[in-house]
Amino acid sequence: MSAEAAEEPGEAVTTRGTIGVELGRRPLFYAVLAPFWAWLLVRWAYDWVVEPGTNVTAREPFFPTEPFVAAGETLRGVAAGAPAPVGGVLDWLAGGFDFVAFGLEALPQLAAGAWVTVVLTVVSILAGLVLAVPLSVARVYGTRAVRYPALAVTELVRGTPLLAQLFVLYFGLGLTKYVREVPGVGVGVLPDTAVVVGLIGFTVNSAAYQSEYIRSALLSVESGQLTAGRAIGLSKVAAIRHVVLPQGLRFAIPGWSNELIYLIKYSSLASFITVRELFFRAEAIGNETYLFVEVYSVAALFYLALVVSASAFMSYVESRVAIPGLGTTGR
Amino acid sequence: MSLLEFEDVHQSYGDEEVLRGISFGMDRSDVEVVIGPSGSGKSTMLRCVNRLTDIDSGTIYLDGEPVTTPETDVNDLRRRVGMVFQDFNLFAHRTALGNVTLGLREVLDYSKEEARAEATSQLERVGLADQADSYPAELSGGQKQRVGIARALAMDPELMLFDEPTSALDPELIGEVLRVMRDLAEEGMTMLCVTHEMGFARSAASTISFLDEGRVVERGPPEQLFEAPEHERTGEFLERLTSLHGGQQG
Repeated sequence: MSAEAAEEPGEAVTTRGTIGVELGRRPLFYAVLAPFWAWLLVRWAYDWVVEPGTNVTAREPFFPTEPFVAAGETLRGVAAGAPAPVGGVLDWLAGGFDFVAFGLEALPQLAAGAWVTVVLTVVSILAGLVLAVPLSVARVYGTRAVRYPALAVTELVRGTPLLAQLFVLYFGLGLTKYVREVPGVGVGVLPDTAVVVGLIGFTVNSAAYQSEYIRSALLSVESGQLTAGRAIGLSKVAAIRHVVLPQGLRFAIPGWSNELIYLIKYSSLASFITVRELFFRAEAIGNETYLFVEVYSVAALFYLALVVSASAFMSYVESRVAIPGLGTTGR
Repeated sequence: MSLLEFEDVHQSYGDEEVLRGISFGMDRSDVEVVIGPSGSGKSTMLRCVNRLTDIDSGTIYLDGEPVTTPETDVNDLRRRVGMVFQDFNLFAHRTALGNVTLGLREVLDYSKEEARAEATSQLERVGLADQADSYPAELSGGQKQRVGIARALAMDPELMLFDEPTSALDPELIGEVLRVMRDLAEEGMTMLCVTHEMGFARSAASTISFLDEGRVVERGPPEQLFEAPEHERTGEFLERLTSLHGGQQG
């Protein structure tokens, strides 16, 4: 890299991302997301005042459903008197109003579920990162004694289905027995037993995947960087920490964003171990109303909003930590 | 007593013996220039001094102490021996100042303010105080190499190793790096330089060694090697080098 960069100094200069720059980049996108998040945050706060925690019972909707129900009925009345093709279209429109009314009714439940989904995702990706860094360093720089155990853990976790892992933790090992004994679990704002088991499962699973993303990022750090660190007298561990990791972790951000997005959606598997997250709540509403297509459609919009928010946030982080000339972000 | 002494040093990569019995000594404030065709073992010889490469047999002494024993504290050895690389190897994620402060903070345990002050004065020494906040990618090759030198100097080394410090530079940038090296030599720094800059070798070196196939073929003061080489090969090689790299006076 050095020889080419040397010829054109200053070419790689970049501006660091700020919130303002990020918002200005995609105004329409944020115009849609901003009301969603404003509503969601108020919703969470409102429900939390009564009952904080990961198992919130949703309160009444913010938006009245009656106008939409009434509009649907009116349209249907008109449709009954209209000639066939027009009546059909009006009937279809009335169905749209019914769907909105149903959606508004379902929103509080789904918002409460989305809170658990967010907790599962955010805690697992961060806790997973804490485990993934030493795992990946062990894989790349470790002696045989640490390299092989790290490889074994990674391959075991990546080689078995996530759902099976959750079942083993929840039903097989009966982890709930032990988790329940831990002081604080399920008390007040702290996650309850099933959520904790889910967090453990997702953290371990995500750690394995993240360690592979980070491993490949570490391998793309030039070997001369570590040599230069050692040459001024840094120990191997210090050189990895202060020279290799700051660069490698930046290289890992795109892959890491991918993992975050996967995790948002994979967290729905927690519903199989009774965690009342977004998918669990949608399914419960479906079981009650038999309107499965409708409720899953609304839930899908929730996931979509969470995912695009996450990827926008990660691209902001990426530009925020960008360093001129380092990786793809600095160019 | 010599500051640096090689005693029958052998080193090989697999079946290929790179160093076949190197012995020489250099005193404090000596500037030793090592020349030789590619593959002759010059870089390996340098890397053996700070143990980036381990030797097979023989002994290297620094200030009278053997540093090639298993008991040697390599981190302390490397602190005492500065190294400048052909392709700079600046820490890509740190500014020029950050490149110099890292060792001060993490190896010498300077406080943040002390490290900053010391690093700033080292950057001044190589004429780059105004580039303290630039990242490596924002610097020219010559500037990068001068930051590399400042980074090594900040550790207050007893000996500096230069591994072809100007080979990756455009011709017009070589002079600024050689100027810094010349200043260092004049200040009395002990320097072991692998370089083919014949202008620098002729005027700044106290001794030149000609390395070929892992052996020191000829060694002596510049006048001797340039004017009256004992070996035919030395003369041929120097002639070729001078026609290629003789122009830069730094």
